[in-house]
Amino acid sequence: MRIASCAVNAHWLRAVVVQRSEIPQEILDSLKTPVTALVQELAPVHIYCYLDLGSVKKAQGTRLKELVDVGALNPSHGWSHKFVDELVYPQILEPFSEAPAYPVAAAFDCGGAGTQGLLVAVDEGLGVCWTAFNPEPAKEMMDIPDDWLPLYVMNVGYPLESREAGGQRPRPPFEELYFDGKVGRPFPRDPKVVAELKREKMIMPPAPLPSRRQEVRDLSRKLGLPE
Amino acid sequence: MELERPIEQYQSVATWAKGLQEQWGGDPLAEEPERLETLAAFCRFDGRDPEELLAFCFLRRKETGVRFASIKRREAVAEQIRAFRTTSGRSGTEARRLVSHLLSFFIHNGIQMHTGMI
Repeated sequence: MRIASCAVNAHWLRAVVVQRSEIPQEILDSLKTPVTALVQELAPVHIYCYLDLGSVKKAQGTRLKELVDVGALNPSHGWSHKFVDELVYPQILEPFSEAPAYPVAAAFDCGGAGTQGLLVAVDEGLGVCWTAFNPEPAKEMMDIPDDWLPLYVMNVGYPLESREAGGQRPRPPFEELYFDGKVGRPFPRDPKVVAELKREKMIMPPAPLPSRRQEVRDLSRKLGLPE
Repeated sequence: MELERPIEQYQSVATWAKGLQEQWGGDPLAEEPERLETLAAFCRFDGRDPEELLAFCFLRRKETGVRFASIKRREAVAEQIRAFRTTSGRSGTEARRLVSHLLSFFIHNGIQMHTGMI
């Protein structure tokens, strides 16, 4: 998550890692929401993610200048220390950090970084799931600063289900989501690309896989969960 | 409290049976009579029939009259399930099965309950 690509190198994402076993039961119960409670109850590690709204003003453009120093931002594209100090920070970033749209843009960035963490965890063989959490008890439990915006908690554990996790979950048709030049003109899927992604297992067989129901039933019984 | 009629004749039990059939195939209530026996025993313990148990989980908003699932009522039912488990004398896997049967009844009738509550 830390090394994910990030707009203006601001790095809004903050995370607090908590071992579930170290959370007193009463506080754990207060963190849960009605639809996410079991996930939080089962996951041995919780990673509570926040957006540090003060990130831009604390850095004052210094992180952009770090990108200039290492050759990531270059004069070829108009970048220099002076450009950052005299234009980008005072005229763009600082005012933007006070605009209503600022948290939305920063949250998009946090989502990108967090999801990369999610993928890395899966690649490492872990089971992960984003859920919501109740922000008030979390703030008190973890001494969260006032200018951190609560996002989601990444629940981390070891998956009992098969790696396919039942197959690709249903999603809206590609052509309903993505457009070619103008909204309303569907972007066509390239069958060759789709075939390649399937070969590479980037697109999994659609759910439900034939054994899914039995798998869920067996796991429910193993864990004493309702059927 | 004894139920007024056989437990399988309650509408909510029929809903449960249908939900289980659609989810798992076959007829789980018929194949594992323990599920119905557990619900009937819980009703006797609690003093309410299946329909009354479900109705208890809902309240209506004063302003709009819209029905909603009450978290407090759900917690009260969870408390009763905990007490039922204790008086059953079962432990370990047996106790978990007892609880999971009851939660399944509520879940297939639209009341979200989970083991973390019990």
